[in-house]
Amino acid sequence: MTAAAPIVIEGVGKRYVTPSGPIPAVDGVSLTVRPREFVSLLGPSGCGKSTVLGMIGGLVRPDSGAILIDGEPVTGPNPRKVALVFQDPGLFPWRTALDNVGFGLELLGVPAVGRRKIALGLLEPMGLKGFEAKYPRELSGGMRQRVAIARALALDTPILLMDEPFGALDEQTRLLMGEWLVGVRRRTERTIVFVTHSLHEAIALSDRIAVMTARPGRIKDVIEVPLPYPRALDGPEAVALHAKLWAQVREESLRAMEG
Amino acid sequence: MRVWLWRALVLLAALGLWEAAARMLNPILYVGPSRLPAALVRVLATRDLPPLAGHVWLTLGEIAAAYALAVAGGLWVGFVLGLRKSLGRIYEPLLATLYAVPSVVWYPSLMLFFGLGPSSKIAFGVLLGFFPVTLSVLAGIRQVPATLVAVAVSMGAKPWTLFRKVMLPAMASTMVGGLRSGLALSVVGVLVGELLGARAGLGYVINYAYGLMMTAEYAALVALVAAAVLLLDGAASLVEGRVKRWAG
Amino acid sequence: MKVLACQALSVVAALAAWEAAVRSGALDPTFIPAPSAILRVFGATLTDTLPRLGDTLLKTLLGYALAVGVGVPAGLLLGSRPTAHAVAMPYVVALYGIPKILILPWIALIFGIGLSTAALAAAVFAIFPVVVLIAAGTRDVDPTLVTVAVSMGASRAQVGRKVLFPAVLPSVLTAMRVAVVFAMLGALLAEMLAGNRGMGFQMQRTALAFRAPELFAATAIVSAVSISVVLFLEHLNQRLGRWR
Repeated sequence: MTAAAPIVIEGVGKRYVTPSGPIPAVDGVSLTVRPREFVSLLGPSGCGKSTVLGMIGGLVRPDSGAILIDGEPVTGPNPRKVALVFQDPGLFPWRTALDNVGFGLELLGVPAVGRRKIALGLLEPMGLKGFEAKYPRELSGGMRQRVAIARALALDTPILLMDEPFGALDEQTRLLMGEWLVGVRRRTERTIVFVTHSLHEAIALSDRIAVMTARPGRIKDVIEVPLPYPRALDGPEAVALHAKLWAQVREESLRAMEG
Repeated sequence: MRVWLWRALVLLAALGLWEAAARMLNPILYVGPSRLPAALVRVLATRDLPPLAGHVWLTLGEIAAAYALAVAGGLWVGFVLGLRKSLGRIYEPLLATLYAVPSVVWYPSLMLFFGLGPSSKIAFGVLLGFFPVTLSVLAGIRQVPATLVAVAVSMGAKPWTLFRKVMLPAMASTMVGGLRSGLALSVVGVLVGELLGARAGLGYVINYAYGLMMTAEYAALVALVAAAVLLLDGAASLVEGRVKRWAG
Repeated sequence: MKVLACQALSVVAALAAWEAAVRSGALDPTFIPAPSAILRVFGATLTDTLPRLGDTLLKTLLGYALAVGVGVPAGLLLGSRPTAHAVAMPYVVALYGIPKILILPWIALIFGIGLSTAALAAAVFAIFPVVVLIAAGTRDVDPTLVTVAVSMGASRAQVGRKVLFPAVLPSVLTAMRVAVVFAMLGALLAEMLAGNRGMGFQMQRTALAFRAPELFAATAIVSAVSISVVLFLEHLNQRLGRWR
């Protein structure tokens, strides 16, 4: 290990208390994310990957273990270091795209002129120039998610956490958004942790893929994806990787279905 | 189910506070729950008050008549406006505008026209109960899925069959809500009418008690009527639930 | 536009038919006066009508303010706390379902004939829709929006101001619009039942005295005022809610 790892997850566990008893969501997850790395958390539904993301983001407190960001333990949301994007874009319907993007900056007290400049600067390369005055209800699903990502990028945090951000979109839009995210990633220098249940997405985007087991979630395996960008997903390496991943994930998915 | 416990506690606390406050204040004006059962007995035994039975029957009759007319009228107007889109577009907004007027403004005119007898109460009950029924018919027609109609027509359904077997079941959930509201409002209309100016009926008896400052009897009557109204609406909601389950 | 013309035409035609019916003797003017007679009376009694209208409106406003002042916080509280909601809502709905006119005689007994009774009546009528609508609106706030704000480091005050307040605002505006009609209803009822001033009392009085033109004029004025207030509030609602 050379430079300080931005994210260190050490043996975290989380139990949810339900009326029918405690349910272990995550049990002993450990992972170290390297600087400027794109790591995907891949696994079946209910394996706790969103919980892990929530813990990194300071929204969920682990019952055991710890998470360190740049060497400091996570105690709550850290808008200077970590920004989140959820599956539901969560845009404020009463704000225009521009005002949505500027929300985080507004909380920090950045004046309106500055906020506008930064927001426009983020929306334009996303192909949303001319849409900044539109309300979320006037935007398509893909556009809304782009605005949500722009809002997360506006805080210029070194770490970006994304929880199945393209899950609610149709397939074509998903593929396009994936390509676009790769472009964004190459332009910025952030560390990204990306939750998905799509093998395709994980292979297309990640430097490393952490496969999680069915509930209670643990890291089953961490697979390197040493392919150069842009990735040919029908090339031999990608196909081999897909097969290897599927073997692992399939096992866990079956376990999740029976569980 | 701790919620049940809390609900019971809230009810007990409210009753307790009411009783305590009533005891501390002027007993002529404030009646605590402990005095209600005895007052109810006095009311039913018709001591000092006109015999209740006749008035109750009258009120019930007025409610029944008002509701029947409100439903008939509401269904008719609702279907005419709903099925003839051209008429609907013109007159539905006018109907909606009337909703912005506090309903009681019509009652004095009804009293003028029908007098102080039962007909003005029935008329007012009809007026109030008619709106929810009409609006629910209009809403119900609007939400019949066009695909259902298209499928039936493609199978050769005639207009009456189409109406009976496709539209009515599809509209049932929405309409039954309107029928339930209509009942509640018809009841309110009749009661308001009787309280504002009548020579007979439950409202008249309540006014009589209040006029003679027989506060305990008045409170007992109010509790009785309130309970009856809640029971009626409860029954209506059960019917509504049944219909909604059947209609899917 | 064509619809508007048809509506206007219908109203004018109805008025004309009405006038004709009274003149021809088909309608008895003792019970249903001609529109022209109503207009004449309206002009003649304007100086008396305005203070009466003001009186009723004042009672409505006071009751409305009370209902909103108590009802909005109550609704917000019930909507944001699931346990409180589960415990209290059945009682609120039950009380809402009881004809509130039943307690008006009691209020009149305690507070007498006049302003307080009518204002209280207006408050009692208006508070229920306020609480129910606002509780529902608060419950419907998308929790993701709160999560987003918290993840960006918003303090509790910021979440309240920048997320909860604008999210709940449409429900609050709707509730306030609905409550106006209920408040006026309460005030008018109180005036009819136990009042000596105001439009409600005037309508009751003229009805019992068979003074039909005055009654119809009063009815028309109250209706017009009510419709105007509601239309204005709806317009306000539209302007403030362009994003929906």
